[in-house]
Amino acid sequence: MEKVVYLSPQWRDEAERRLKADLSPERMNHITSSMSNMYRNCPDGKERFLFFKYVDGNLTELLTGEGEPPEAQFRITGSYEVFAKISRAELGSQKALMTGKLKLKGNMVKALKLAAVADRLNKVLASIPTEY
Amino acid sequence: MTAKEERRDPYFIDFPKRIKEIQKKMAEEKIDVYLGSRLRTLSWTLDAFCPWRTFVVIPSDGLPTVFTFVIDAARVADDSWLDEDHVLGFAPMGGQDQIEAISDFITGLLKNGKGRVGIESGMSNYLPEGNLTHYEYEQFDAAMPGAELVNAYTIIDTVSMIKDEGTINRFREASRIVDVGHKAVYEALIHGGYKGMTETEIAGIAALAMRRVGSEWEWSFTGGNEIASGYRTGLAGGACTPATRKEIVAGEPLMVDIHAMFKLGLGDHSHNYLIAPATDRQRWHADNFVDIVKLTLKTYRAGITPSILAEKMIAFADERGFADYMVPGFEHGIGMMGDEWRIGLNDGPFSFWTNPDHVYRENEVIICAMQYACPEENIGFRYENPILIMQDRCEEMSKYPLVIEEIQ
Repeated sequence: MEKVVYLSPQWRDEAERRLKADLSPERMNHITSSMSNMYRNCPDGKERFLFFKYVDGNLTELLTGEGEPPEAQFRITGSYEVFAKISRAELGSQKALMTGKLKLKGNMVKALKLAAVADRLNKVLASIPTEY
Repeated sequence: MTAKEERRDPYFIDFPKRIKEIQKKMAEEKIDVYLGSRLRTLSWTLDAFCPWRTFVVIPSDGLPTVFTFVIDAARVADDSWLDEDHVLGFAPMGGQDQIEAISDFITGLLKNGKGRVGIESGMSNYLPEGNLTHYEYEQFDAAMPGAELVNAYTIIDTVSMIKDEGTINRFREASRIVDVGHKAVYEALIHGGYKGMTETEIAGIAALAMRRVGSEWEWSFTGGNEIASGYRTGLAGGACTPATRKEIVAGEPLMVDIHAMFKLGLGDHSHNYLIAPATDRQRWHADNFVDIVKLTLKTYRAGITPSILAEKMIAFADERGFADYMVPGFEHGIGMMGDEWRIGLNDGPFSFWTNPDHVYRENEVIICAMQYACPEENIGFRYENPILIMQDRCEEMSKYPLVIEEIQ
């Protein structure tokens, strides 16, 4: 597969296909939750978001866009470069949070329960041949 | 349990009503948000024990939200009357550290991020008090530029002074549990059982017996169950004796000061023994102590003050010739877990100490706490018992007999 541009419509379509194919509702622990990643300082200077919504472990919405994302249970904010490093497996998401490179808003106790499924989700996204 | 059954529970406390009372006081003092950090405030508002650094954010209307160390947040939510959406965890992670998480939350409650935020500042000789630290104050101040931080702890101290029925019943039950512990200790000591026994072992015997009947822990920060024998009973001032490995020895006094907790209500009762053979002089000291405790308990009632009581008791001790051995304090404050030192409000001549002219009111609960110490004779005694101040008398919550037995 040819590389797709990170956060582009093509990347979003491929992410959706892979997430649905690789992560069954069982693997997603039948979670019902939503999360938005806020990308600061994108290469073109804009701010972008990536929004996921799961209902009973099924991916029901995957959106990318500019500006403010839809309301989500969790919001993670960081620079484009940090998210890119996580996607390239050069930086762990936990480490990024613990060093303050990413900021999480939302109920931390609930976030802890979702840490394992978030890792699974990140691994699938990291498998997409991506151009940053 | 239905709401109706809950209200019939003798230990029921109307926590939403407590919050409304606090919010009423906040409105009177023009406080928009209250940021509580003291252990006493947390117990009083949450009905959960919070051993880690914890904050409660009380808005001007609606439910409070708790912020505690993330590893304990689920347990606090489980114990508290609040749901998991009102008990949040903080952790050393981006956006989740206590300063950022709480200041963001409070800013969201303030109109345009501006307003008065009540905080808890002060001092205490009770180490786990939990006042906002200087560092925390500076950090919150910097993180909420539109907020004015105002010291407002008096709001909680005022509303928590007179105890409601559920709280009083929790104290009564904790005291009943303590009495079970004392009975177990007595049974272990008699018929020569004390021989070879250490203070720590006695502390454990009491703890096991109390836990068997529902005590949650031996809550006192002074070392759990405090046991002293021999010279340790007579240490000057002598109001803190964590158990040691010292063995119980014939001819020595033994002091057993044990603590139980029931739904954050606190049991705290000291009982004293003489291990036979007791000398006449030891018996004299013991009789002095029992007599002054009896007189003290008879004197407590609404309308008197700590200073009036102290004057009367010291006069009695002087008349009987043992004033030199009495520590001139007869009580300490008590409330739900974490409220363990000052009586009444901070309105005395020395900041954050009991006002000696505090006038007791009906339904205040205090610990009658008396210490007799004669270091030169290696003997001393302690009496502690939660008492409920009533109109014309006091109720002693521990019913364990007030005697100093000689253990054969």
